Amino acid sequence: MASGGAVMAIGDSSKAVIRSDLDGSQAKSLVFDALTAVIPGLKAEAVDERQELYADLGIDSLRFAQLLVELEGRLNVELVDEDLMTIEFVNVVDLIDLVERISLSAEK
Amino acid sequence: MAGTARDPLLPTHWFNILHDRPQYVATALSRSQLAGLEDMAGHGLQLQQPLSLARQSLNTANRFIPIPDEVLDLYAQYRPTPLRRAVRLEERLGVNAHIYYKYEGANLVGSHKLNTALAQTYYYARAGVKRMATGTGAGQWGTALAYACQIMGLECTVFWVRSTLRQKPIRGDLMRLFGADVHESPSDLTEVGRRAFKEDPTGIGTLAVATGEGLAFAAEHSETRFAIGSGENSVLLHQTVIGQEAVAQMDQLGEFPDCVIACMGAGSNFGGVALPVLGAAKDRGRSVRLVAVESAACPKLTRGRYRYDLSDALGTTPITKVYSLGSTYVPPPVYAGGLRHHSAGPLCSAMYADGSLEAMAIDQQTSFRAGMLFCETEGILPAPESAHAVAGMIDVASRHPRQEAPLAVLVNISGNGLLDLAAYHRFAAGEIEPVAVDEASLSRSLGALEEFNQRIAQPAETT
Repeated sequence: MASGGAVMAIGDSSKAVIRSDLDGSQAKSLVFDALTAVIPGLKAEAVDERQELYADLGIDSLRFAQLLVELEGRLNVELVDEDLMTIEFVNVVDLIDLVERISLSAEK
Repeated sequence: MAGTARDPLLPTHWFNILHDRPQYVATALSRSQLAGLEDMAGHGLQLQQPLSLARQSLNTANRFIPIPDEVLDLYAQYRPTPLRRAVRLEERLGVNAHIYYKYEGANLVGSHKLNTALAQTYYYARAGVKRMATGTGAGQWGTALAYACQIMGLECTVFWVRSTLRQKPIRGDLMRLFGADVHESPSDLTEVGRRAFKEDPTGIGTLAVATGEGLAFAAEHSETRFAIGSGENSVLLHQTVIGQEAVAQMDQLGEFPDCVIACMGAGSNFGGVALPVLGAAKDRGRSVRLVAVESAACPKLTRGRYRYDLSDALGTTPITKVYSLGSTYVPPPVYAGGLRHHSAGPLCSAMYADGSLEAMAIDQQTSFRAGMLFCETEGILPAPESAHAVAGMIDVASRHPRQEAPLAVLVNISGNGLLDLAAYHRFAAGEIEPVAVDEASLSRSLGALEEFNQRIAQPAETT
């Protein structure tokens, strides 16, 4: 991943629980669940964190956006465009890293 | 900074049809079903557009999506756009119809494209992008994006289909006036362009190649992103200010459209006017007929096939299910450059597939004749694309039986034709020959489309 800082998000106050400060295994299972939700026919047991998003899982730009929106939904947050645009994601682990680094900003 | 008072008729939200019809979200093919991915090891994914725009394309939860204040202030400079009844045209045609037209051509750039250009550049600028790249057919989109980029402080690079650029070079001057770099496509700046030249030495260009060049240029330059002028759900969403205004304006006149007609490139002006009317019809428990008018030189709906296809010549964009003539089809260089895209966007394609819209193909001469008549009777010279909508509208209105209640028709005049005077002049002088489909190119292209679909073992349809 090209960027190492925190990724800011806006909490959705209309939803009851805002997930933050996930540990590694929680982040991993959340990412695996999101992947199986957006990739038809993909089973969680077939996902490996070293797999490549494009070359192994065939994720294109549309499905990549779907994946991030899916993660937002599972975290009850809205990610900030500016932080995301410059990050390059290669492996599944990059997504797990993203989820771990999400910190909630108090204000938009 | 609100410089212009907002008219109460200016919508504060975009209308999201995906709320009413979530089945239209998208049908994309997984890249894992394509061979050759093993060569792509190490290929990273980066967001190509701000997630704010992607969320709009995927949103099925909200029927109305708020328009950001900054964008509303810019809309307020030219919206609401006029809605008028074409009384003199009705009289001239002697039809049993009330013909209303929405006029999107009165803003500085000359077309509806400004509605999405302002919205998209707002989100891209906020996301930290410094330069936009794009491909344009008629040039209306390139002009709108150039202007919006100037307003938002972004640089802009436009790849413009050569055949159209040569028809109206003065529009290029307008893009450059707004600070854009304008390149003829195919160009020698990108591999896609160089390959297209090899395959078609005449180099008249297609929107698929120009789009591919814009994508390639964006991928090769830092802080640069590609923006699209039509087809995507978010783009159609931004255009829904047109139809929402039209419904409110017709309400004031005690009318509601029985039929909505617009030309079809990839679907943004059509969707912009038709989708909100469809929503309003649902609310009022009535039905509305929607008619998309395409160019007979590029009949993607009436002669295309509903298949998975690439939307550009670079081939990196999502492979969606669309009505298509195949991405390698080279339509003859008709003057309606905005109608030369080989496929309709996924949303309008899904609507055509389920019977929600009708399609009609109009030849170039009929459209110019309709455009001239519209100019003579209504004092507005429509863009050649919009003239197709006028021709379709005349056809529909003329067929309405005299003994029935008058048909209320709403047609969208998506742009003005002031920079197309040379084309109108040539038509008036009898210099424009009828242009038909290039059957040889079409047959090759459809063959390639079928082959591509056969290679896909089991298409996975997802939402």
